Formats: sequence, C-alpha cells, structure tokens
Amino acid sequence: MAKNQIRLVDTDIHERVQYKDILEYLDEPFKHYIENCHWIQEKHMPYTQPAVAGVDRADAILPDGRPAGSDLGFMQEQLLDEIGHEYGILTSALDPSPSSMHGWYEMAIALASAYNNWQIKEWLEKDDRLYGSVHIAAQDPKAAVKEIERVGSHPKMVQVLLPIDDIMWGDPFYHPIFEAAEKHHLMIGMHHNEPPIYYGKWPRYFIEWHTLIPTAHIKQITNMVFNGVFDKFPNLGLMMIEGGFTWVPHIMWKMDQQYRDLRHEVPWLKRKPSDIFKKQIRVTTQPAEELTKQEFMSLIEQMGTDEILCFSTDYPHWDYDSPTRALPNMDPELKQKIFADNAKAFYPKLP
Amino acid sequence: MKEQVVCKTTDIDPGEMKATNFGKQNVLVCRTLDGEFYAFLNQCTHQGAPLDKGIMCGATIDTSKPGEYHYRRNGEIIRCPWHGREFDIKNEGRMLANPEKKLPNYKVRVEDEDVIVYK
Ligand code: FES
Repeated sequence: MAKNQIRLVDTDIHERVQYKDILEYLDEPFKHYIENCHWIQEKHMPYTQPAVAGVDRADAILPDGRPAGSDLGFMQEQLLDEIGHEYGILTSALDPSPSSMHGWYEMAIALASAYNNWQIKEWLEKDDRLYGSVHIAAQDPKAAVKEIERVGSHPKMVQVLLPIDDIMWGDPFYHPIFEAAEKHHLMIGMHHNEPPIYYGKWPRYFIEWHTLIPTAHIKQITNMVFNGVFDKFPNLGLMMIEGGFTWVPHIMWKMDQQYRDLRHEVPWLKRKPSDIFKKQIRVTTQPAEELTKQEFMSLIEQMGTDEILCFSTDYPHWDYDSPTRALPNMDPELKQKIFADNAKAFYPKLP
Repeated sequence: MKEQVVCKTTDIDPGEMKATNFGKQNVLVCRTLDGEFYAFLNQCTHQGAPLDKGIMCGATIDTSKPGEYHYRRNGEIIRCPWHGREFDIKNEGRMLANPEKKLPNYKVRVEDEDVIVYK
C-alpha cells in the first residue's frame, strides 16, 4: 500500500491483554484470584458473532492463534508500518475494563494499576509512535485520583479512559477524576464498552445495538455538558471514541435550542452547548458511514468547524476503517486536520 | 486475450479458496463444493480488505420471515475478513445485501490439472 502523504494520528487502536500476561503486574491477593481461582470479568454481550472472526478483523488474529491486538510486533507490521502512522493512541480492549465492573472495586483498582504498568512497559516504552490511556476504577473516585496521580505524569499517557456503559460520568461524584486529569494535562477519552442502549437492556439483535451506539455517546455528552463539567474544568477535553460522527450536528442544535428555553435550570452554564462542543469535545470518525464528498462536506459545515473530527481506525476490530478508503476524498488542508492536526491540537501531551 | 495458469486443481480443495497472481493482479480463486472454480479480484469492494483472509461459508437466505433462519448455499458465499460483507460466488460475486455491487471477476477454465484464469 502506498504511504499516505499525511502521517496519520490514529485516535483509536485496541491493544489487548491476556490475563496470563498481566499477572506479573498484579498485586496479591488479586493475582491469586485470577491465577488459581479462575476469576474473569463478567461479560454481558449476548451476540459476539458480527463478523467472520467475531468482533475482530479475521486477518488480525495472530498466526499462532493469539487474539488480535495482543502482540506489538504484529501490530507494527500490519498497522503502524503498513499505514505509516505518526502516532497512535491506545484505547485497550474491553477486558479488563475496571470502570465497567459491577462490584468488587478492590479488584478493579488492582487491575487498573496492573494494566497501566503493563501498557507502559509492553507498549508505550517499546514503540515511539504509541501513546496511552490511563485506566482507573472510576466507581471509587478517590482510588481513581490516586491512580491518575501515580501514572498520569508519564510522558506518553495522554488521556484518562472512561467506558460508555451504564454510568453517567457528568455527575459531581466523578468530578475529582476530571480535576486530576486536568491537573496532569490529560484529556478524557470515552469509548463504549457495552452500553445498555435499549432502555437499560439489550436489543434482540446485534445490528440494532451497533446501530444505536451513538445514542450512548449523545447521552454522555448531554450529561457532561449540562452537569457543568466543561465550565468547571475549562482545560479539560473529551474525545468521544467509536460512535461515528453523523450525529454531531443534531446534538449541537438540540442542546442549543434546549438551552435557550431551559437555561434557568443549569445556570452554571456560561456558554451555549455548541460552543462548548466546538472548544472541548472531539469525535473520532470510525465507524464512518459511507458518505459522498458532498454529504461529508455538508456535515462539516453543519458542525460549524472542521476541527472536531479526528480519524481513527479501531484496529484490530471487525469494523476497522481504512485510512485510504473510509472517508471520501477531501481537500488536502482538511485532510491534514482530520487525519493528524485536530488530534495533535487536542491532546496537549502529543508532540 | 490474456490468460495464465494460476495453480493446480489439487492446490484447492472443494470449499476452499486461495490467493494467486494473475499478471500484476492479486486474484482469489474459489472452489465450490461441487468442484467448480471461480475467480475474483482479491480485494473487497468496500474498503479493500484481502478476501482470502475471510471465509467461504453459507448464508442465512433472505426469504425468511422475522425470527426464522434458513442457512443454505454452504461453500458458495465469500465473507470479507473485515466487515463481513457477503458475496455470492455463483452469482458473479454479487453482494447479498446489495446485488448491484459485485466483485470484479475473471473467467476460469480447467485444462488437465491446470487452473487457468483469463479475461
Ligand atoms: S472491506 Fe470488506 S466488508 Fe468492508
């Protein structure tokens, strides 16, 4: 494949840990519970069969059978070298996802620390191009802040990762997390885990669930904007990962219109929601719907700025977006922004 | 007319497929369970994934009523390794969800043990 002229900043790459790899980073007794007592994180999704190799790209499974995303060398060959990435942001697989765990916060806290150490040692310090996400157990904000204090100053950690799941993160209960992130020049990256998009339940089919994932992103943004997170933490930014982007104009208009009528309920909001969005919220492109150039340009115009979108591949998952094929052709200046500069401008710690 | 021997018949068992080279083009040769050979450009029309990394399988056919599954056409459908789109080997490589789209295809004939692809 010809190298892109623009060197890509890929805002969503999923590295994957296997429990056996993380054990050496895990404190006791948690190591014991995994190693000897077969603890695994509870799983919910009733349909894991969307594509040929489940939720992974079939050609990303390692030749020796290890799961997609679990080997740096293979990822370098298939993704980073092949495409010619300038930078890639690691966003992990779903397992473990400490902030999504129901109960046993102590295990979640231990897993978050172990994961961060593993990520730093096995990925961030082995490839200059890769930048990382701080994992926390957000259900315990005190412990989460402690973890951000512990690893947040690592030069290659660029964001704190929160799952889009069944917790609304704008609640003041979680604000200490945002305070700590802001202090360390970390942004918040939000990626859907297994959000119950269907009135708290799962729909009957995967195709329904996957179609409606952006509604979970919309809910989190609405929640954080009206709970005043972005006014309280003016240097904080939010990267909404893997919900596509065609919904962005809708929620900007909707929030602005509601704000004009209902401002009295949220007097702490100093700016109209779309201005908050333009300044502090960014959106990764994948999974991109197939749009014509005209449709795509019209959407950018409706957003009122070309600085929101940041390209992402979602490697190695089944709904991977190819940097050369997923979006329509666009002018070089716009392409430069979407494929690289918007993400660089957003993450203060990205060179 | 351009033609080329791309492999031997014994290189591909029924129900399997293989990436070969036809001049500069990477061509996917598929052999259905009845022993027939078919050839397509080894690149998905969607985002360009290498189709030989996908699978040959059957498909749930579209004459079902809601809640009904009928799995048929075993070995006659290519599913892409990325987004899993389904292409009908015996119907010119047409996409099941949108038959107007099809994989670029090549003609194939067998002479003795040779599988010959031609335009
Ligand atoms: S690249 Fe084949 S289905 Fe998308």
